[in-house]
Amino acid sequence: MKRKTRRLWMVIACVACIGSAAGLTLRAFSSNIVFFMAPSQLKAHPPAADRTVRLGGMVVAGSLHRETHNGEPVNAFQITDGQAAIEVHFTGILPDLFREGQSVVALGSLQRDGDFTASEVLAKHDETYMPKEVADELKRTGKWDPRFGKAPDASSWDTMTAKKPASDTQSLKTGG
Amino acid sequence: MTNLPAHWQYIAASYALTLGCSAFLAISAMLRLRRSKARLAAVEGHSRRRGTAA
Amino acid sequence: MRATPNLLHRYANPGQFLRLSRVLLPWLTAGALLFLGAGVAWGLFFAPADWQQGETVRIMYVHVPMAWLASSCYLGLAVCSVLSLVWRHPLADLAAIEIGPVGACAAALCLVTGSLWGEPMWGTWWVWDARLTSVLVLFFLYLGHIALIRAFDEPARGQKAAAVLALAGAVDLPIIKFSVQWWNTLHQPDSITLTGAPTMSLTMLWPLLLTTLGFTLGVAAVIFTRLSAAIHESRTRQLLARSRLDRTDTHAA
Repeated sequence: MKRKTRRLWMVIACVACIGSAAGLTLRAFSSNIVFFMAPSQLKAHPPAADRTVRLGGMVVAGSLHRETHNGEPVNAFQITDGQAAIEVHFTGILPDLFREGQSVVALGSLQRDGDFTASEVLAKHDETYMPKEVADELKRTGKWDPRFGKAPDASSWDTMTAKKPASDTQSLKTGG
Repeated sequence: MTNLPAHWQYIAASYALTLGCSAFLAISAMLRLRRSKARLAAVEGHSRRRGTAA
Repeated sequence: MRATPNLLHRYANPGQFLRLSRVLLPWLTAGALLFLGAGVAWGLFFAPADWQQGETVRIMYVHVPMAWLASSCYLGLAVCSVLSLVWRHPLADLAAIEIGPVGACAAALCLVTGSLWGEPMWGTWWVWDARLTSVLVLFFLYLGHIALIRAFDEPARGQKAAAVLALAGAVDLPIIKFSVQWWNTLHQPDSITLTGAPTMSLTMLWPLLLTTLGFTLGVAAVIFTRLSAAIHESRTRQLLARSRLDRTDTHAA
């Protein structure tokens, strides 16, 4: 019994040590673990010219311009984190999920003029999974525009897409 | 032939891989259990016979 | 303090475990087939397409269970390690040997299905973000455990070393879980959490829960089967060793 208790405490102590060591290491390297930098971070601490960094944020609604030069699509759009926006230039095919209002990550470098030239653009999607019909209905009724921010809570979709009862619950809510 | 969705190869590949690996694991485990039972029974019977003979 | 060892020792007995597994296995198998069949059919054919990912979202119904199983199997390994290191539970080492390859399979499938999902949606097979990298580390921990537990001529030494590795590697589990919250990653945060409401429609949540339950029961059945087989095999080995010993004894006499 005594030896078992001692072994148990040894195991607990070892796990605590390894855990805190790992925690401290991760804390120390935290800035290297982040996958991308936000526009405001990039503007506050500009990396050395021609250093490759990842820039992540939301595509600003209405900022996307697509052109075709010599058969290659040339795209220009702005990425924002709500505090600052950076103009991004990218030549190539954008991923399927790319749209205005979508979170994207661009790999490239910050130019002298403050614009960002990307060699690769990845689309991020958020943790919201919404059936197409619900999204269409929300967009049609103007309750949600994917270009300006996150989808409403999943628990509210039923009442928001319901044809008749929606107004009832709405009035009930305001009434109560 | 109905229209296949975009990227159907990716969907098919992930389901096939996952279900295939699961089936392989399950069937190989079942066969292994059966084999190990038979072998234990054989060895037990053998040693019991030796035990009574001795 | 008394209750724990008693409970532990009841299932420490391999015979007791075999009896339990004989009772449980048919139920686990039937449940796994039922839930998996329903979940896969629902997920593949009846669940709605996502508004932006389209049909490709269906990969979720196999990817998420694999991620869940990769983590839970590792948690199982860590529990076995504690039982083996502290209480010298005779079944714990056998269980660790059998859980390892199953968990490694789940981790590999999680990575592969994730890749197959990432390529059409994100536009890349692989990125070195915190979530993907920490799951890759988990996969390598499994490989290390599988190799280490069989690396020594004397099984007990390998089992002890592997138990220490499994326990030390358990720090990766919270890192995987919270990587999407602590750091910005390409991988999206969890849709299903203990604290908040799920951020997906019920018509997608149900098939996901069904396949997760089905795969979990199936993996439990596979581990029980493998462990039963391992117990039979070790008994066979013992009997053979004893009869060999008897033979040398009679020869000596």
